[in-house]
Formats: sequence, C-alpha cells, structure tokens
Amino acid sequence: MTTTVDVDQTAPGRDPAAKPSAPAPRAARRHRLNFTPYAMLAPATILFLIFMAAPIVYTLILSLQKTEVQGLGLGSGARKTVFAGFSNYAAAFSDSDFLASAGRVGLYGLILVPAMLVLALVFALLLDSKRTRLAGFSRVVIFLPYAVPAVISSLLWGFLYLPSVSPFVDLTTALNLPSPDVLSQGSVIFAIANIALWGGVGFNMVVMYTALKAIPTDLYEAARLDGASEIRVALAIKIPIILPSLIMTAIFSLIATLQVFAEPTTLKPLTNSISSTYTPLMKVYRDAFIRNDVNSASATSIIIAVTIFALSFAFLRVVQRRAFQEENS
Amino acid sequence: MSTVTKPLGSRGSMARPQLAKNRSGRIGANDKTSYTSTIILLLGALYCLLPLAWVLMASTKSGGDLFTSNTFVPSRHLFDNIVELTQYRGGLYWRWMLNTALYAGVGAFLSAAVSAFAGFALAKYSFKGKQATFMVLLAGVLVPGVILAIPQYFLLAQVGLTNTYWAVLLPQIISPYGIYLARIYAGASVPNEIIEAGRTDGASDLRIFLRLAVPMMAPGLVTVFLFQFVGIWNNFMLPYIMLGDDRLYPITVGLNGLLNQGSTVPALYSLVITGALLSIIPLVVLFLVLQRFWKVDLGAGAVKS
Amino acid sequence: MRRTIRAAVGAGVLAAALVMTGCSSSGSSNSNDGSLGTADKPVKLTFWGWAPNMDKVVDTWNSTHKNIQVTYVKTDAGDPAVTKLLTAIKAGSGAPDLMQAEYQKIPTLVSADAIIDIKKDVSAETTSKFSDGVLSSVTLGSDALYGIPQDSGPMMFYYRADVFKKLGLSVPTTWAEYADVAKKVHEADPKNYLGTFSSADAGEFAGLTQQAGASWWGSDGDSWSVDIDSASTKKVASFWGGLVEDGVIDNQPQYTPEWNKGLAAGTQVGWVSAVWAPGVLAGNAPKTAGKWKMAPLPQWTAGEQATGNWGGSAVAVTSQSKNVKAAVQFNTWLNTSKTAVSQMVTDGGLYPADTVDSKAALATGNGFFKNQPDFYTQAAKIAETVKPFTYGPNVNVAYSAFNDQFGKAAQAKSQQAFLDAAAQMQKITVADLKNSGFTVK
Repeated sequence: MTTTVDVDQTAPGRDPAAKPSAPAPRAARRHRLNFTPYAMLAPATILFLIFMAAPIVYTLILSLQKTEVQGLGLGSGARKTVFAGFSNYAAAFSDSDFLASAGRVGLYGLILVPAMLVLALVFALLLDSKRTRLAGFSRVVIFLPYAVPAVISSLLWGFLYLPSVSPFVDLTTALNLPSPDVLSQGSVIFAIANIALWGGVGFNMVVMYTALKAIPTDLYEAARLDGASEIRVALAIKIPIILPSLIMTAIFSLIATLQVFAEPTTLKPLTNSISSTYTPLMKVYRDAFIRNDVNSASATSIIIAVTIFALSFAFLRVVQRRAFQEENS
Repeated sequence: MSTVTKPLGSRGSMARPQLAKNRSGRIGANDKTSYTSTIILLLGALYCLLPLAWVLMASTKSGGDLFTSNTFVPSRHLFDNIVELTQYRGGLYWRWMLNTALYAGVGAFLSAAVSAFAGFALAKYSFKGKQATFMVLLAGVLVPGVILAIPQYFLLAQVGLTNTYWAVLLPQIISPYGIYLARIYAGASVPNEIIEAGRTDGASDLRIFLRLAVPMMAPGLVTVFLFQFVGIWNNFMLPYIMLGDDRLYPITVGLNGLLNQGSTVPALYSLVITGALLSIIPLVVLFLVLQRFWKVDLGAGAVKS
Repeated sequence: MRRTIRAAVGAGVLAAALVMTGCSSSGSSNSNDGSLGTADKPVKLTFWGWAPNMDKVVDTWNSTHKNIQVTYVKTDAGDPAVTKLLTAIKAGSGAPDLMQAEYQKIPTLVSADAIIDIKKDVSAETTSKFSDGVLSSVTLGSDALYGIPQDSGPMMFYYRADVFKKLGLSVPTTWAEYADVAKKVHEADPKNYLGTFSSADAGEFAGLTQQAGASWWGSDGDSWSVDIDSASTKKVASFWGGLVEDGVIDNQPQYTPEWNKGLAAGTQVGWVSAVWAPGVLAGNAPKTAGKWKMAPLPQWTAGEQATGNWGGSAVAVTSQSKNVKAAVQFNTWLNTSKTAVSQMVTDGGLYPADTVDSKAALATGNGFFKNQPDFYTQAAKIAETVKPFTYGPNVNVAYSAFNDQFGKAAQAKSQQAFLDAAAQMQKITVADLKNSGFTVK
C-alpha cells in the first residue's frame, strides 16, 4: 500500500505526523548484522502469525473441504470431513443469493463511499475556513458518532426508522405529510447507508481536517488576498494538496463498505426487507453459524477477502496513475 | 493540477505582510462570518446529535411509557431505569462496562506498545525483509474481522482459552493499522540525528527507543491507542463468538443479548436504551479529553519508502 | 420414525480433521462417568442455559447437593447458544456438561454429535412424567433419549377481552371466524389489527402448520423426507397470505419496538402465541394487565381440538461431558423434582414439561391473567391436544429460509407469494440436506 506519492506537507512544528520524513538513518544501515529491528518486530510478527496468518491459512484449508454424512446423520461418527476441491467456491459463484448480495454491496458502496467522502470533505473544508463560527463545537459533535458501536447505533436508528415509534413519522403525520417507510424493500439500502454514514463521516472529516491543517497557511493566504473565493481556494489549492489523504480515506471507506455486516444484521429483525444473505458477510455468518457449514463460509470468506484486496489495489493503481503522473513527472 | 503550483510561485504575502496572519490569529478582513458555512456545519452537527438526543430522551422513560409517550418529551424515570439496570442480574451491566474497559484499555495499551516497536523498527532501521514484512502486515488491514473470528476460535479452543478474557484480549493486540500509523509517526517525529547522538553516547538501541523515541512518538502513540480502543470497544463479532458466559461479555454483546432474549422472554428495551446511553458516556468523555490527539494523517503515510 | 436410530455411544468427537484441531480430547472420554463425587471432592458440572432465573434454581441444587456442584452460565438465547456449542464440539473442547436445547434444535445437535443418549441413566418413572408429544421431541422416535424436557409451548390464542367486548365480538373458534373477527377489528379502527404475520418467527408458523396436521420432516430407513410444502402447510400459508393480502392483519415482524408499542398501545388486539405469552405481555405491556384473555387456538374444523407447539426446551448432556452420571442426576432433579419445577414456575415463569410435579405451583394461576384464574387448568387441557411433529437435522436451514422467503412474501402482500414461499422453503431445505450428503426421499 505504499504509494510513491510525495506531497510537500511542511507544517513547521504543528503536527508530528505531518512533518516531512527524514531519510532513513545511514548509521542504522552501517550496522553489520543487527538483530534489533527483528527483535522489535517480533511481538507484532508472532501475534500476526498466530492471530491473522494462521487463521487465514486455516480458512483456506476449510474452504477446500466438506462434511459428508452417512445415513440419517445421527449418532457419532456419522459425519466425516473430506477433500472437496474447489466445489465450495463453485457453489458460491453459482449461488444466486450470493451474487445478489455482492451486487447489493456494490450498489451500497456506490451510495455510501461518495456520500461519505463528499460530506466529510465539505465538513472538513468548512471547519478549516476561518469564516465558520462554532467550528470547535461542530467538529466534536460530528465526530461523536464514531464513538458509538455499530450495534448500538443501528439499534438507535432502528427506533427512528420504525414508523410507529419514529418521532419523524409523528412529525410528518402532524404536518399531514406522507411518511415514507424507510425500511421498505426499495429504501432499506439507504437506511443502512445512513447509519454507516452517521458513524463514519466524523472520522473521515477529522482525517481530512488534519491534512488541511498541515497545509502551510501562506500557500493559500496569498490566493485569498488575490481575491480568490473560498471555494476556489478549496478546489484549486487545498483539495489537491490533501489528495493523498483523500485517497487513503477512500480506500479505507471502501474496505469498510465491503465488510458491511453489523448494521443490516441489527436491523434485520425489524423488517421483512433484509434477508439472511443481504450482504456477503451476512451470508458467511449464516453459513457458518445458522447452517453450521463452516466450509462454505470459508470459501465465501476467501472470495470476499480477495475481492477487497483486488479492488483496493486496482483503485490505488488507477488514482495513482491519474492523479500523480503530472506531479511526479 | 497545474494550478497547485501557481500560488506557490506567486506568493503575495510579502507584499501585504500585515494580513498574512498566523492561522490561529485574529479575524482578518477576509474572515467575516459566513452564515452559510456555519449553518451547514451546524446542520451536520444536528444530524449527528439527533439519535443521541433520542436515546437521552428515551432513557428517561419507564418501560410502560417508552413507546406510548411522545418521543422528544422527557420523563423522570432515568434514575429508576439506572437502578433497574444496576439490579439486573446482580449488577451484571456494570460488570460488562468493566469488562469492556479492560478489553479496550489493556488491549489498546498492548496494541500501542507492539505497534510502537514494530513501527519504529520499520521506520528507522534498514534490514533484510523490511519491505516484505511491512506489506504483509499491512495486508492484514484488508481481512474482515468476521472471517478471522471463526478460525481464531478454533485455534484458541485448542489451548482451552475460549470463553476467557484472553480470548477477546489476545487477538486484538495485533493491529496492522496501528503499525502503519506508528511507522508514520516514528518516521516523522523521531529525527535520525537524535538516534545517532544516542548511539554516540553508547546507549543501547532499546534504551534509545524507550528513552528518546517513545516520548517523541507519544502523541502519535496516543492516537494509535485511541484507535484501537475504539476498535475494541466497538467490536462485536469476536467477543460474540469467543464468549459463552455472559459475565465475561463486553457491553456490545451484553446489550445485544438483552435485546434478543428469544421469543419466550420480552426484550428489555428500557434497559437496553438506558444501557446504550450509559455506555456511550465514557467514550464521549474520552473523546473530549483526548480530542487533540485525534490527528490522523493518512496521507502522510504515503511517503516514499 | 419407525427405525431405530443408532444411539450415540461414547463421545468420539468429530475433530475437524485438521492438524490443528487434532486428537487430544476425543477418544476415550467419559472415563469418569460413574463418579458422583463427595462433599469433599465434588464433581463439577457446567450448565449453559438462558431461561429466566435459572441461576436461582441451580443455587437451590448446589446448597442441597454438596457432592455435585453446578456452575450455571447464562448464554444468549436460542441460535447463538447452539452455535457456540457446535463450535466447541468441532474445536474438541470448551463445551459444557449440560445444555439447554430448544426442541427443534435437538436433531441438529444429535446429528453434529454434540449431545448424547442418556437413556440408560434415566428411569422410566422420570420419563413417565411427560406427555408423549413432548417426549417424542427428545427421543426422535427412536429408543434413545437425547435430553430431559424442561418446558413446553402449547399454542393458544390471546385477545384483548375489553376490546372484544366493546366491539361486540365473540372469541373465534375456527380460523374462518378468526378471519372474520380480524376484518371487523381492522374496520372498526384501521390502526388496529387482530394479529400480524411475522416472518421473523418460523417457530410460530411451524406450530400453526403442526396444528393443521403438518410434520415437516420424517425419516424412513436411512433416508430423510422433507414435507414442508405439504397440503397442510399450504393451507396455513394461503390462509395467512390471504389475510395479509386483504390487509386485515399486519405484515410486520413480531418482537420489534413497533410490535411492542402495538401491544402496549392496544393496536395489537390479539396474539396467536403459546403458554409462555403472559411473561412477554407483562414485560412489554405491563399496563394491559387484566385486559387479556386466553382461549384455545381457532380450529380448521369446527369442534376439533388441536394445537401446535411454539418454543420450549429440553436439557441435554453434551458429548464432551466427563461426568455423565452426575449430569443426568442433576438434569433429572432439575426437570422432574417438585422443588425445582415449582421454583421454575414461580421464579422463571416457565410452563414445565413435567405436568405432574408442577401442578401445585401452577394452581395459583398467572398474575397477569387475574381475570382468568383457571389459566393453567385450561392450558393443561390445551397442552394435551398438541399434534405430533418431527423436526429434521437442518431445522436451522429451513427456519432461515422461512425468514427470507416469507419476509419477501409478507412484503409483497400477496397470497400467491405465500404459497411460493412455502415451495421455496421446501426446495432450499431439500437442497441443503442433499448437499450435506444426506439421503433424501
């Protein structure tokens, strides 16, 4: 994920994270055989091997197996595990529920990621603008939902969505307006996206705001004095400079989007519109925990992980080529 | 993109130095209040506050009034609800809070420590396999937690650690994201000259790290800590799978259990809502107190390596 | 169900056939199953369950049985508990000695080798306390005994007596009358419904088809049969689909905040539920105490007496238990002793499956139904009319298919969609059995 982006973000003494990175110390390289870095990496490496690498390998193995049953499948020894080749993968790719869930998450990403990024960017730019009042208050409040676990935020929004307990519906009925059922088939995807947006926009805003604050003031103060509008300053100066941050937030949002699970799972009991395979990870959960079919779940898991991997890389490649070739040349 | 460099070349600040103020400076001629932007931002704040305001109002209502009274009119039962929540199964709720604090606090501390070591090593040393190690660790960001939780359960079951505090604590110490951030912070905040100076004085690398680098990286490490703290606090899947005993639950799993009691037992909505409210408070406080550490510059990570 | 199902002998735990999950725990377990412990060196048992206040019943046992000490662990209800047990079984360790298991989950647990046959340790006197219908859910029609029944859920019809009186309605005794009353209730006030069709509650629908004569699974020789899409199921599906299509009953799931509000605010005028309903009503709508009444379920044919079952559990001994004898002894006490069963009624609000020992405790009636002092006498009569029903090894698959398919149908509000949903359920359930390698007829 290291890009060759190199943007000058010199902000003297402001934010340690934004300081330019010095070249790696030559002295360190001169050490002949130094075990120190390996020792320092050891805890992370060991934990990584045990809690990430081994589970992934295990998942791979599981995905190539299946359980076979004899007779009625009752009693001990009636089930055994056999090698299944890629049949679990083939089954996943021919499962219309899975394909539908993949399509749904694609749509969900198209709704959520742009909305999240645009809104976060707008908020960050407004925060950065000296002409905005009460910015400190707004910044804290918009960031707050990040502190609310998805399970709890989905529960809260669920209450606000259900027509007969929703204060909004009370309001619209009082005003004699039609009250849409946000949990109906057509709009439930927006209802879910809204919960994720609510929880995530503040975080992304803070990321972008941090990057904006790292821009040396004189870079755009001059432009403003030359009469450029705030919007023009933002579009022409600020956004291009924080582009690396925007790209990283986009990638992390994309990853989070493809893993959407907690929100639809919490809303599921409230509506007829969310099936047990509404998103790919819900299918994984259903297969593993409701159907007790760990092998199918593993195969689907691997497909999801590979997809996320591929999409993240593809995205990075594309934006890198498009956005940075000019600067790098 | 060419516009980027234009203002750089034609900086006019020298011509009018009296207006080129420090960012934190007073309001200049160009800085008159913009009502549009203030209002947009306040609308955003309102949107974010709304569900929280709702939960605050709802938690003041008794179980019987919860659904039948006007939503945004507060009632007086908050204290009763807290008492009822406290009495539920002998104070189990508060135990969930303590569990959560333990999982998130200890887990995030260890995670920050592990990340600091790894990040420092990756940023400040040149060694064989460095790039590969970093790439592999970072790839961990892409793996969904739901996918890991099942095989992690099988592995921990082998050593008899499922349904214990360790089952939730250990898997969450490793944080690819934390290592990624720690590497950025180490690279940006620890000058190589300091390391050199330390070496010249004959200090060991460990001493240099602990005495010189860690204090410099501290603000960044606090951010890593906060990150992981929120991550663990919010994590539902791992404890949900690992734990069977509800005395070990963190708050998310506990509240979910109160809500899904099965068809023969009523869901305890007023307890869940009060519990949700109380569970948010510590995090809100943590955010407010430590908000200056929330500086996450992802872009700075895109450095040439 | 004629065939004798091979009993689960020993506990050859199916290790997940991997190096990492390998051996260690399996093989010659149950080595200690004869010991009953002493006060100095008690046998220690773990018991997973979620019934309300079960910890108090366990405390009673612990204070009077020093040789066997039970640790009660309250888990999440239903599916999550089963999931955890199955995962622990696969992992080879981590399972408790005893486990609360809903009746419909028992074939799944047996088939996963998670719970064992305890027939040889249970006396005939113990089993004689249960009705045949309840007992068949733990024997699976074989010679084995996979658990001791704890509580049961014969289905009944609940209605707001005050609203019925106001509207001059009489209690429906047939489903045709139910449809008629539903229409009148909704016409009198469009906000009110006599009931809802809940796609979230597969157990309720299964119980309703059970009343109509359905039995979704069956076994014959070495093969299973699936009969979800039977004439009886179709009858029930098309009945509810018709009511939903006409809009006279609601189509939203139960156990949502919205549904709770309906109970509390009086817009849900009736509820097709089971004997445990008073607890739910008291919890969700405490202010409606004394306004509800209970009656037998409406019948398909006038004069008939039949009902289904919704909910209820048995307590089973897991295949990882090293103290089977002690576990069975505790289990027997828990579910068939007067002390425990009475405490279950008073503290837990359960309707015990053991109808002999619970008689005294139930005689006082239910506090929420003060207007119906003979609540449990009537309930006991209804409980005798539960029709037989066989669950299969993939109830979870069928139930989750129910949620998805009937969710769509309820959303579509069309009778035909309900029939299609039943057909889809059948298809998915059969496909899953075949895919798992079962022989399906």
